[in-house]
Amino acid sequence: MTKEVNDPSTPNWMKNLKVSMPLNLSYIPIGLACGILLHAAGFNTYLTALVSIMIFSGGAQFLIASMLVIEAPLLSIVLMLFFLELRYAFLGSSLSKYLQGQSNRFTFLFAASLNDENYAINYLKFSTDKKWTPSDALQVEHYSLLFWTVSNIIGSFIGSALHINLTIVHFALTALFIYMIVMQLKSLLKLFVMVITVGFAIFFMLLIKSTLGLVASTLLASFIGYSIESYIRKRNPKYRKNRLLRLFKNPAGTPMDESDEDDK
Amino acid sequence: MEWNSTQHFWLIMLSFLVALIPRFVPLAFFRTRKIPKWFNEWMNYVPIALFTSLVVKDLCITSTYTFSIADKLPELISAVIVFAIAYWTRSMAISVVVGLASVFLIAFII
Repeated sequence: MTKEVNDPSTPNWMKNLKVSMPLNLSYIPIGLACGILLHAAGFNTYLTALVSIMIFSGGAQFLIASMLVIEAPLLSIVLMLFFLELRYAFLGSSLSKYLQGQSNRFTFLFAASLNDENYAINYLKFSTDKKWTPSDALQVEHYSLLFWTVSNIIGSFIGSALHINLTIVHFALTALFIYMIVMQLKSLLKLFVMVITVGFAIFFMLLIKSTLGLVASTLLASFIGYSIESYIRKRNPKYRKNRLLRLFKNPAGTPMDESDEDDK
Repeated sequence: MEWNSTQHFWLIMLSFLVALIPRFVPLAFFRTRKIPKWFNEWMNYVPIALFTSLVVKDLCITSTYTFSIADKLPELISAVIVFAIAYWTRSMAISVVVGLASVFLIAFII
């Protein structure tokens, strides 16, 4: 397969499709689950297609579905989404150096279909493949968008045709979030932040009795993590060797991602 | 209150805006400028805190915001399994599929 990819006669769209294929396939089960939940939350198939194209984020769409089911107010849903999507600011900034000289229109298109997973592919390609261009990257985003949207639409049909136990399908979201936590766990300090967040999240949600409790626990816990890191950096010039900040070894041996890169 | 399609449509439009702003503004802004260090350092800790809060809400907070894990045993066990699977495989698809399978099987057994 590697040989085929390197063959110069292979058209560009085919090469990019091959690069994005592992991601495309992994979107199918998650997209189906998401389509089923959106149907249960009252979205018709057109709206499901629209939300998949316009938001294109598994976490965000699951969140919309689950908050509609518990009849959360509009402001609360939009605010939660904003905080959920705020992490893209970080992803976007770390890709920006590769998009220098691109038009605003291109940047808009690129930003609109950026998400966690195609970011990971594109960041890897940009940093390892000198021939990787911004338009190749945009094409990878669009392939993953296509697979995601079609899976959501099929999920919406499945949801309307079959009666499905939603508490089980809902666990797809929890599993997705757990996966994202694990991908973030890179040092003892991150593990510590995770542990204190559990306490804060329970405390604030029981106190405020709304999803704003999530916002409060997120801001407080991340601020504590950031403060501890700054304190260690200030006190200790060899902070990289500090037990709390030292990076874990990656068991699967996947390439370094953006936050490791920043420390250079 | 059941929402109608028009309300859903406006929810999507508003969501599109709040989803686009964090993706577009930094990308456009930092194409020519340097990213402030404190922002990067702070953003480092936001995802883990946010995702942990969301998982805590899914696993042990009821829809009326009380603490309960009584009927969540299949989810709690599966959460531990997913955590281990995600750690070793680093694959989103495998984590989600194994999670769904295990919550289904454990709920069936219990």
